Amino acid sequence: MVKILIKLSEELVAKPTTAEIILEHKVPINIITAHVTSKGGDYLVDIPDESLETVVTAFRKKGAMVTLPKLIEIDKDKCFNCGACVSICPVEAITVAEDKSVNFDQEKCVGSTCSACVEACPARAIKSVKQNNHELENNTH
Amino acid sequence: MKRLVESSGVEVAFREVDVVTTGTFGAMCSSGAIINVGHSDPPIKIEKAWINDVPICHPGAAVDLYIGATSMSERQRLEYGGGHVIEDLVSGKEVELKATAYGTDCYPRTQVKTRLTKDDLNQFYLLNFRNCYQRYNCAVNGSDETIYTYMGKLLPRLRNATFSGAGELNPLMNDPDYETIGIGTRIFLGGSQGYVISEGTQHDPQNSFGTIMVRGDAKQMSPEFLRGASFTGYGNTLYVGLGIPIPILNEGLAKKVAIRDEKIFTNVVDYSVPRKDRPKLAQVSYKELKSGAITVNDRKIKVSSLSSLKTARKIAGTLKSWIANGEFFLTSPVERLPVDSVFKSMRQTEGTPFVVSVMQKPVTCYADEDIRAIAERIVTRSVNHIIVVDEDEKLGGIVTSWDITRAMAEGKTALADIMTRRVVTAKPDEPLDAASRRMAQHNISALPVIDAKRKVLGIVTAEDVSKLLGR
Ligand code: SF4
Ligand code: SF4
Repeated sequence: MVKILIKLSEELVAKPTTAEIILEHKVPINIITAHVTSKGGDYLVDIPDESLETVVTAFRKKGAMVTLPKLIEIDKDKCFNCGACVSICPVEAITVAEDKSVNFDQEKCVGSTCSACVEACPARAIKSVKQNNHELENNTH
Repeated sequence: MKRLVESSGVEVAFREVDVVTTGTFGAMCSSGAIINVGHSDPPIKIEKAWINDVPICHPGAAVDLYIGATSMSERQRLEYGGGHVIEDLVSGKEVELKATAYGTDCYPRTQVKTRLTKDDLNQFYLLNFRNCYQRYNCAVNGSDETIYTYMGKLLPRLRNATFSGAGELNPLMNDPDYETIGIGTRIFLGGSQGYVISEGTQHDPQNSFGTIMVRGDAKQMSPEFLRGASFTGYGNTLYVGLGIPIPILNEGLAKKVAIRDEKIFTNVVDYSVPRKDRPKLAQVSYKELKSGAITVNDRKIKVSSLSSLKTARKIAGTLKSWIANGEFFLTSPVERLPVDSVFKSMRQTEGTPFVVSVMQKPVTCYADEDIRAIAERIVTRSVNHIIVVDEDEKLGGIVTSWDITRAMAEGKTALADIMTRRVVTAKPDEPLDAASRRMAQHNISALPVIDAKRKVLGIVTAEDVSKLLGR
């Protein structure tokens, strides 16, 4: 799965833009977070790797801005398993295992739209990194 | 051991177990290292010193230095500090020493710059004057803004909580009467062997806030158990790994080391109140704290540990295997630690200023007034801030002379269009330092002072504060 960030204008929010694309292209689009008002908004969505180009093109055609959010990575060598990041995370992407190691689930994490944990880490083990998808990077910037 | 006492009773456990090992790994700010860097040629009597840009204390003769864990890099500030310097040295990295001096007949040199590793140091001893707090507060934030504290990042309106300490694994929790832990007790310190040299500063055993002072040869230590750290918006520190073996000398001790997390309680404290005695919102056990969530006023709050329980367990395990393999020998203390000392507050010979002592009578207006009338009031009363109130004198907003000037230039007439509604406020019984800090943080020059019902009592301005605090 790939995460992309879609920005919709006032005009696009008024229409069922996302629903139309799902129906037209028969692709699953999983909305992870959404900040939307009648004045516009942005969605963070998860889409299957193979539909990436189709979805990005479709949204752009409709006039939406598509960007690639940065992802969060925890450097296991630096992390000393304190857990300071755990209670900060709004989506429970960081959890404490039975053996008290701190685990990170990138699938759940909403990446640079949140980044709340980065500054909470005393070991500076959490970094915001670019998604490693050259194809989309070229496409989106 | 804890399980054995529970299942078979104290007597059996006492007969079967000789030693219980404990461990903790957490941020211990009152830590540091003594180093001796040797004499240069010509020699220097160091007056000021920096390692990797971090100011280093010079408490002794010519070339003895103390690296305090919380000292901050002059360039990188919070991102690198004394704790990181110690970690880098322990890891075998080369660091840069810069020093200056005034020069004497016997120590003529006034400047030196060199690169050093731990092998170049004559002595490199970890010397921590307060470690291993028996237990600590659980921190929350009851305010409307995220705060950054030595207890980490605290989200507004009690959206998270943090705690520190290993609970039932903490060394001092297992020997609360200091029967076996005393001066000369050999311990696990930073991956090597060290000693307890005294009770720690602020040692408060009667309230279960005991601490110890420790020392160990840092050249033998490992960065796995000694890590520099940065608390965003707060400062630098050192994470220290410490473990103590407790010989089970009598049945009483067998019973004491059976202590469980559910029997160790601490207070949930609101760190948004900038006072020495902060409000305590609830009591929780370490069992709850370690479960990941606590309940305060019927609300479930996610809680984070700041110290690593995983590393604490590893320390206790390592110590156990050292003892089993004959690599570590227990010592009996040469002197007991005090069990009756108290932790006093600072004797303050000058009064602390509060908001109420500088607050002025507010100049107010109503939201439906014309901007022109307000402009006049600004001139006649010669103030810069007018507080907007409703008919009950409750806070509605604030306008500044600058807002009015701009509104007039833009031809606006309605106050409602230009007033600021989200106002940063102060309370009368708040320390002036806290109010002053809030003004600086929000880059504003005055705060309306309100009571609990948001009734406007006065105004405190940056100008009045600086007159009193002299800044
Ligand atoms: S970035 Fe946000 S969602 Fe992702 S792990 Fe950190 S706190 Fe959780
Ligand atoms: S706060 Fe940093 S060091 Fe602590 S568990 Fe999270 S990633 Fe690891």
